[in-house]
Amino acid sequence: MKILVIEDEPALLESMLAYFTGEGNICEHASDFASASEKIAVYSYDCILLDLGLPGGEGLELLTKLKKLKKRDGVLIISARHSLDDKLAGLDLGADDYLVKPFHLSELKARVSAIVRRKNFDGDNVIHFNEMIVDVAAMKVTVKGNQVVLTKKEFDLLVYFLSNRNKVVTKNAMAEHLWGDEMDLSDDFDFIYTHVKNLRKKLLEAGAADYLRSVYGIGYKFGDI
Amino acid sequence: MKLANRYNRVNILTSIVVLAITGLIYYVVIHFILTEKLDRDLVVEENEIRQYVGTFHKLPLPASYLDQQIAYKNLSTHIPEREFLYTSYYNPKEQENEPGRSLITVVYLNGKAVEVTITKSRVESEDLVRIILLITVGITLILLLSLLLINRFVLNRLWRPFYVILNGMKSFEVTRMDAIAYEDTPIDEFNELHQSVNAMAERVRNDYKELKSFTDNASHEMMTPLAVINSKLDSLLQTESFTAQQGALLADVYHATGRLSRLHQSLLLLAKIENNLIPDLQEIDFKEMVAVKGRQFQELFEKDGLSLTTDLQAVEIKMSRYLADILLNNLFSNAVRHNVSGGYIHVKLDPAALVISNSGKPGNGQGKVFDRFSKSADSEGMGLGLAITKQICNLYGFRIHYAEKDGKHVFAVHFAG
Repeated sequence: MKILVIEDEPALLESMLAYFTGEGNICEHASDFASASEKIAVYSYDCILLDLGLPGGEGLELLTKLKKLKKRDGVLIISARHSLDDKLAGLDLGADDYLVKPFHLSELKARVSAIVRRKNFDGDNVIHFNEMIVDVAAMKVTVKGNQVVLTKKEFDLLVYFLSNRNKVVTKNAMAEHLWGDEMDLSDDFDFIYTHVKNLRKKLLEAGAADYLRSVYGIGYKFGDI
Repeated sequence: MKLANRYNRVNILTSIVVLAITGLIYYVVIHFILTEKLDRDLVVEENEIRQYVGTFHKLPLPASYLDQQIAYKNLSTHIPEREFLYTSYYNPKEQENEPGRSLITVVYLNGKAVEVTITKSRVESEDLVRIILLITVGITLILLLSLLLINRFVLNRLWRPFYVILNGMKSFEVTRMDAIAYEDTPIDEFNELHQSVNAMAERVRNDYKELKSFTDNASHEMMTPLAVINSKLDSLLQTESFTAQQGALLADVYHATGRLSRLHQSLLLLAKIENNLIPDLQEIDFKEMVAVKGRQFQELFEKDGLSLTTDLQAVEIKMSRYLADILLNNLFSNAVRHNVSGGYIHVKLDPAALVISNSGKPGNGQGKVFDRFSKSADSEGMGLGLAITKQICNLYGFRIHYAEKDGKHVFAVHFAG
């Protein structure tokens, strides 16, 4: 995928670029309003990560600009403002999703992947990974032709893992993804373990390789062995 | 006690005392003057009798005197002293006993002592005194009545601007921009009060605005470094060359960062609810929402072996969906967090109230549960959940109650307020 990251905080920008680079992704970046609007006008991206608080202009204006240019780039708004008004305004102007700072990079990646999948495959929303075929729209998973029956949580977890292939994903991020960050969860994420264990067992039984590894007790990594 | 009542009470008491004293003085003085006059008349009469006796050497006939009675009595041995006294006598004209004033004196007729008693009626002077007394009492009553009327009508009207200002101050909210209501009055004190109150309100609002924008800015500025820390941690984790010990350290840092950002979001949320910045009002199917929440929390219930029972009736509530979600989240996570292993949670919803009861350890901080940062010693939470819950209830006029008895904790949200 081709991604444009518009973010004025250098440290955050660097982390996002590092996380997204690789696996055939092309990442570009802009740190102010002028360079961002120039890039938007000249190139097309699969997804644009847009920070609303930009030096030199209001981030929402870029959305208006994009709309005028009749571009179909996916847009994910990143904002420090946890404000419903901003969120609604952004989504109204054609943004695909809204993420509030601070966020987990894995969550960001999962959301960007979802946007890109929706945009690129026009409803034919399928992820291929080695012997696995995951139909996101129909919520169906097949391994070597065998259908795997997963619960909603296990399915969401699998898609989350697939979006963050070869990355370590923390339990914390997984919990927030599955249950929402509004839920005042306890800090003990052991209940996630059950879901991961069941998912792994079902995939193994269907004949998939063992892609899941626990990492330092902090999280899990799903990817090539 | 109201100022007017207090003032009136003093006023009336003073008036009564002063009028009573005046009446008493009137009575005594007039009584004294009238008695003096009667006595002088009696002395004139006495002199006339003496002159008559001196000239004609006989006693005048008792009948020849009007409005008075004269009686003679021959004395033999005892000579009484001359004296004035109050008596009552028989008035043949009126045919009744009347109060009178008598003078007893002695005249010598042909060397013999004769006691003369001259009596004059006191009825007229008594009547006069009585009338004066009645007039005094009447004036007192009229005065009291007029004071009461003044209190009721005039004072109430005079004080009305004051109460208008007072009500304005009572309903004053720092977030609303409206000035304190006022009724025009020629009274300087009230005008001044109104000006001062408005000036004060303005100062408070300005201070509040400054503080608020400071907090807002601080919060937003804090979000970015937090986002950087979070993303750097995520990146660090990807480098994957840690020992188990370093991994544990990382987990702790994650843990703390997560808490910090949640704490931060909760504080922002509290501020937003307080300032009513979440308008998004809509009819919400509460029954459906509670049921969904129950499913969402299923893993948490299972983890602690809690059993959930529900008794839900269809209820529609007009509020923000976002806040309704937070309200339920907080109440549910509270019920889980303060439960005991293998305990129960019962949720009852009817049009009047949502009641969540759960088992738990007996006796943690009654009354203070809704305070910010108040939490039991072993709680993993931040102590903001219930404060937020309470704030949401306040916003929509719900009443929230907490009760605990023998390890049964009950939170009840009454919708009707």
